[in-house]
Amino acid sequence: MRALWLLPLCLSLIFAACGDEDTPDATVDSGVATDAGRDSGPNDTGNTDSGVDSGTPDLGTDGGVGLDAEPTDTGTVANPFPNTSCAGVSECLQFVVGQENDLLDAVNDLQTGTRIVLGAGTFRFTNAVTIRDDAITFEGQGIDVTILDFAGQVAQSNGVDVVGDNFTIEGMTITDSKKDALRIENSTNVVIRRVKATWSAGPATTNGSYGLYPVRCTNVLMEDSEAYNASDAGLYVGQSINVVVRRNIARRNVAGLEIENTQFADVYENHVEDNSGGLLIFDLPGNPVIGRDVKIHNNQIISNNRPNFAPSGTTVSQIPRGTGTFTLASRRVEISGNTYQNNLTTDVAVLSGLAVQSSTAAWAIPLAMVVGSTVGLDLPSGGGVILNFVTNEIWVHGNTHSGYGTLPDSTNQTARPLGALLGLVYFASGGLGPVDALLYDGIGEVVDPDVVVNNTNFNHVCFEDETGASYATLDLPKLAGILDGGQRLPSTDDIYQPVLPWAPFDCSGFTGGPIPPVVLP
Amino acid sequence: MKSVCWLTAALCLAACSEAQPSRDSGGPGDLGAAADGGANDLGQSDQGVDAGEPDADLPDLGPADTGVLPWGEVVVDINLPRPPALLSEYRLVRLENGVLRYNDRVVPYELAAPLFSDYAIKERAIWVPPGTQVNYQDLEAFDFPIGSAIIKSFSFAPDLRQPEVGRRVIETRVLVKYADGWHALPYLWRPDGSDADYHVRGHVEMVDFIDPFGAPRRATYLVPQKNQCTSCHELSDGQGGTFTTIIGPKARYLNRLELGPGPAINQLERWVGLGILAGLPALDQVPSSAALTTYGSTVGWTAPELERAARDYLDINCAHCHNPQAVQGVTSQLYLNVDNTDEFRLGYCKEPGSAGSGAGGRRYDIVPGHPDDSIVTYRIESERAGEMMPLLGRSLADTFGTRVVRGWIQSLPSRNCD
Repeated sequence: MRALWLLPLCLSLIFAACGDEDTPDATVDSGVATDAGRDSGPNDTGNTDSGVDSGTPDLGTDGGVGLDAEPTDTGTVANPFPNTSCAGVSECLQFVVGQENDLLDAVNDLQTGTRIVLGAGTFRFTNAVTIRDDAITFEGQGIDVTILDFAGQVAQSNGVDVVGDNFTIEGMTITDSKKDALRIENSTNVVIRRVKATWSAGPATTNGSYGLYPVRCTNVLMEDSEAYNASDAGLYVGQSINVVVRRNIARRNVAGLEIENTQFADVYENHVEDNSGGLLIFDLPGNPVIGRDVKIHNNQIISNNRPNFAPSGTTVSQIPRGTGTFTLASRRVEISGNTYQNNLTTDVAVLSGLAVQSSTAAWAIPLAMVVGSTVGLDLPSGGGVILNFVTNEIWVHGNTHSGYGTLPDSTNQTARPLGALLGLVYFASGGLGPVDALLYDGIGEVVDPDVVVNNTNFNHVCFEDETGASYATLDLPKLAGILDGGQRLPSTDDIYQPVLPWAPFDCSGFTGGPIPPVVLP
Repeated sequence: MKSVCWLTAALCLAACSEAQPSRDSGGPGDLGAAADGGANDLGQSDQGVDAGEPDADLPDLGPADTGVLPWGEVVVDINLPRPPALLSEYRLVRLENGVLRYNDRVVPYELAAPLFSDYAIKERAIWVPPGTQVNYQDLEAFDFPIGSAIIKSFSFAPDLRQPEVGRRVIETRVLVKYADGWHALPYLWRPDGSDADYHVRGHVEMVDFIDPFGAPRRATYLVPQKNQCTSCHELSDGQGGTFTTIIGPKARYLNRLELGPGPAINQLERWVGLGILAGLPALDQVPSSAALTTYGSTVGWTAPELERAARDYLDINCAHCHNPQAVQGVTSQLYLNVDNTDEFRLGYCKEPGSAGSGAGGRRYDIVPGHPDDSIVTYRIESERAGEMMPLLGRSLADTFGTRVVRGWIQSLPSRNCD
């Protein structure tokens, strides 16, 4: 179904570029140079800007080597196990570079509870490293010290591919996988610690989809890890229950960090910079894990202005570059204490699922299929199905904002209609912007730009104690109607831009939070 | 009860069998019949390689061909701590002058619709412990007794229009039913054909050949890792666990006619005759697949014929992951199992979960009436790593199968999904 806001025609408006080509903005990246300096990876080639993003914040900040200067390539390391080894550990197997075949033999024939330790250097594979047993620990000597290189992969597979409970992966870099760098599926008690996923070509459409990708898991800890150059999400947790994501870094991915169809997630102290979209929370239509109780706090969400390089047609290709956070088709989400800087489309957008998929039928999940808990959620149901397009009980508070909204992504209105629409509303008709830092699409609400008390907040979306931010309710259905009419352009006169405290979105009477922290077993 | 069936089959045989040795005789005729009457589906011919020499020296000639071979009794010992290092230890199968030969009571079988594997010639057989039987199931895979083995071997020939010439077997996979379920055990043949070694880490090999259409092809043939077997063979048990399943041995795919020196006989009835299958209902109660070979034309097929063929093709090729019980695949919410009647989850106007570059710039899994706008066709026609479906098991596109699916989507009443 066509998204409500999808501009229906190549309006004879200000758009010069209505085609499919993504015209990169040469001028967009005023980005501050705030790289935390941790991505000194040998695989993070210095050529990551690909010529489309001159002036991006990662200039000069890839603090390490330029091109794939792998530290070791030969197995001639003096001590391949400087940091961890099998010494004194039973049920433990260790491998050095050159023993790739032995490693593959071993992982295909594991005993439950085995610990696998890889030495320093670059291990090269033509197929995935697969693990299908329980209680496996898979450990290297550290990020960029132990490297698993899948550039020679002939099978179209993930890099490290796991199905197994009580799994821990720690201390390694995974590079150049055909599909996801690390995929862990259908597993309980998963730990991802100090793992880096990257692609040596820099940000490229042809890179694998996801960096770190636990999906359909229960009890997931992802910490102190990094993801670069993924053509979908760098860091991802999806369709999972009980999740902690902390102290990670995501740069130069299409989506930096995604929490998708996930229940009870605690996401904090992550650094999300120079992606197309920063930190995103959403449900997909038809997925049986109904997202809820997501806590996003104390993250750095900076200059996520990289031109979207996702393969066209994909869901993430619709993300306007310059998006800090959106929370879409989600409920019971708390976004607090985060720093948003220089996200050129907007900082935080609160969106109904209908904004991207206007068919309510597409959001129908048969009750018998529902996974996890829906207790206490306010979602429409009936006829044996529950609908999860609704976004409600959203509490945004205590964040700081600067440099937002000065150049929304109008590069491709077909692929990214929201960016194009924001460009029209805020910058056409003589407007000078910027786009407000905080946006609510207003789907399902009464929106009256002129009479404050007419505005409704049925979905309990609220914003308070925000520093440096402005707020607007967009009323997407109305804006789409104006465009469809073709008589005039929408402008900020059509949206609700209240003065503080932004009633009725000011949290008075809000009961949807706080979201409790997640405690893993 | 079966006379009509036999008669139909016999008529069809008379009409078609010799006439078109190298091309499938044309879908429509094959599709309607409960039993697949096509003579050229016998033996290896499912692989589309039955170029005019049907079955002359194949081992699947029924009881007459299963005489005791001088190599002792089959040994499938589920109590061994580790699988046998050599395939020969099972005494199930061996190579004689380049031809796979099975031991006594090892029963070759064929599927009406096979999984496409880069045009590899696949030879399949089962063995059940003496005195035990397979239990018939209508829709699920047949229930095999513990201790059973399924043997599947993959071969290539330089010119698949003459598949018996220069054939080389690459691997044999033995699926053994343990007390805790099926285990998939891969064996890689030695170049001299003397035996095959247990080989769990996988193997990649470039294979050049002429395909059944006469086109030169180069496959990047993948012998999967042992763990990768589960990517096709694993299902969720609905209680948080998983189990390994078998894909082909289902009623709808085994329900086919086979020819031998004597009268044609339905494969399932042959199994009953051999005493290895229990519970077979009347044949008209048994589901049946369209007969799908990897070659042929869909010209002149009606929409219902295309639909039946395409749904069976998608079922055998995709539904091991794309079904609600699968472990991998459910994240997509695209269910291609033949009994799925939910149009949305069959892909109609459905956006993909995470197709990545596999979307090919297209927005919906299936746009009825528009194969060129459908992701499903893009992914099965692509030969680029990272885009292809199925994920494992092919590096080449299946000329005939893609034709069937494309034809089906084209035949659907047109919809505008936007």
